[in-house]
Amino acid sequence: MEVQKEAQRIMTLSVWKMYHSRMQRGGLRLHRSLQLSLVMRSARELYLSAKVDAHESEPPLPPAPSPDPHLHPPREAHAAAEAAAPDGEQPFPEPMDTQEAPRAEETPARCAPRPAKVSRKRRSSSLSDSGDAGLVPSKKARLEEAAAEEGFSSELRDRLQPPPAQAEGAFPNLARVLQRRFSGLLNCTPAAPPTAPPACEAKPACRPADSMLNVLVRAVVAF
Amino acid sequence: MLADIISTVEFNHTGELLATGDKGGRVVIFQREQESKNQVHRRGEYNVYSTFQSHEPEFDYLKSLEIEEKINKIRWLPQQNAAYFLLSTNDKTVKLWKVSERDKRPEGYNLKDEEGRLRDPATITTLRVPVLRPMDLMVEATPRRVFANAHTYHINSISVNSDYETYMSADDLRINLWNFEITNQSFNIVDIKPANMEELTEVITAAEFHPHHCNTFVYSSSKGTIRLCDMRASALCDRHTKFFEEPEDPSNRSFFSEIISSISDVKFSHSGRYIMTRDYLTVKVWDLNMENRPIETYQVHDYLRSKLCSLYENDCIFDKFECVWNGSDSVIMTGSYNNFFRMFDRNTKRDVTLEASRENSKPRAILKPRKVCVGGKRRKDEISVDSLDFSKKILHTAWHPSENIIAVAATNNLYIFQDKVN
Repeated sequence: MEVQKEAQRIMTLSVWKMYHSRMQRGGLRLHRSLQLSLVMRSARELYLSAKVDAHESEPPLPPAPSPDPHLHPPREAHAAAEAAAPDGEQPFPEPMDTQEAPRAEETPARCAPRPAKVSRKRRSSSLSDSGDAGLVPSKKARLEEAAAEEGFSSELRDRLQPPPAQAEGAFPNLARVLQRRFSGLLNCTPAAPPTAPPACEAKPACRPADSMLNVLVRAVVAF
Repeated sequence: MLADIISTVEFNHTGELLATGDKGGRVVIFQREQESKNQVHRRGEYNVYSTFQSHEPEFDYLKSLEIEEKINKIRWLPQQNAAYFLLSTNDKTVKLWKVSERDKRPEGYNLKDEEGRLRDPATITTLRVPVLRPMDLMVEATPRRVFANAHTYHINSISVNSDYETYMSADDLRINLWNFEITNQSFNIVDIKPANMEELTEVITAAEFHPHHCNTFVYSSSKGTIRLCDMRASALCDRHTKFFEEPEDPSNRSFFSEIISSISDVKFSHSGRYIMTRDYLTVKVWDLNMENRPIETYQVHDYLRSKLCSLYENDCIFDKFECVWNGSDSVIMTGSYNNFFRMFDRNTKRDVTLEASRENSKPRAILKPRKVCVGGKRRKDEISVDSLDFSKKILHTAWHPSENIIAVAATNNLYIFQDKVN
């Protein structure tokens, strides 16, 4: 659970950084965008594997998308990086430093409740969708204007399904299956959200984002 | 002032001049004083020689992007006449600057008065020819060439070729070869842009020509690899001649492994036999004849390995540190945080951590070695990892080509340290 939270926090942070980097003088930096997307991908994989692990260890109660985490203040950096991930998976060893979580994290957490409603709706529609050819880990993405982080973390939690019944066998295979299903969820998202008006503030606004999850796996390609 | 943050430091080939570029697009050149018998103690101090605005902020209207004026790199050309030439670049445009001295000026024009105004022809009754008279030394910098519009992505490196006729500029995905005389075209010699940008997995992070072989250059990538290319092999050097990569140590694998393996700087040794690379935590020396692993690896600040998540949060994990060789390739130097910089002696395997700060930089003071305490009991002079100031970073350093004089840029201050002369 801790690992999941931490992975989610990193994902949120990465998306925020990516969004913020667009505002920088000199425009988007390709190298920076690539690095952010790599971290996002690792965080996502870790989150998925932790989720699988959590589900495996507590079959009766999958990590439900409870409103509690949303209402809590941003995760403190103290989250212990227990190796919930099994061997072979990317370990998450760094104990967190006592550093203030960036302000931006508060915004997503506070905005969470709204998008949660939206995502719950979408979940049912995406259930039937089957995974596509699988997400190429190195896939770069387009960052939608309205996308960014906002209800990202909550959306993620809501969307992810418990692992399918056939998820036996080697863990890596399971992760891959999850990945495929996950990307299936992504690809079924509706058309790109309306581009935000230029008057949009530099700080991420709370807005239900249709293709929020697109942002997760699709980093910025400006050129 | 943000504009004063130093973004590049470079000695010229003799070490007589030291150029710095800053975030405001300015170049400041320091010149070493001539040694004089009278003032033994002022041996070889560096004083400001010339200051000029190299680049201005620009706006790309097509992409609605501002182009920063920050000077990313300065490279000197070898001196061929009385004037000095250097290349300076921002994200998009490379410029060739001529820095020359003027110590005489013409006086006694026939048709103009002392202020340059035209004289009334009726008052001209004699004929005289202007003569050159000495004047106070003036150093002027003029832009001789502007190499623009050749890079879609952000330029990270420039390197002058040993033929002194060409140079290269590298951005995230492409490397272009220029002739100094021709500004309206360049040759593309490396292009790693994939057909589908969604398949992009690595970018070019630094590039440099071999110091002696004008056909050879190397470029480093964000994946921690180095490619050596030979321009004689083909016009487009997409296929490398040599590929340097160290297999990853599985025990070091972590969440941020990929991004800390990105090489931020690559430098040939003066001999041309070795290359040195800097990634986030280490400096590595590679032998050109051995591609499968470096011959030496030096830990710059391994105590940060457990702090990577925090460093990601505060963006420090993206800092691009440079590294330099000394003149004899026996010592290498690179920067760290808290205004610390490190030197590694390749022969004795000894290393030292020094600090660039006003407090311990009185003239002729001796720098005291510093030590970072990595847990456990902290000794009196040590500093703990948690006390390090990550806003004080030394990204840019330079070493005099033949003497033990180093220049260290600490945010907006430049420190010049010299070996004590007995």
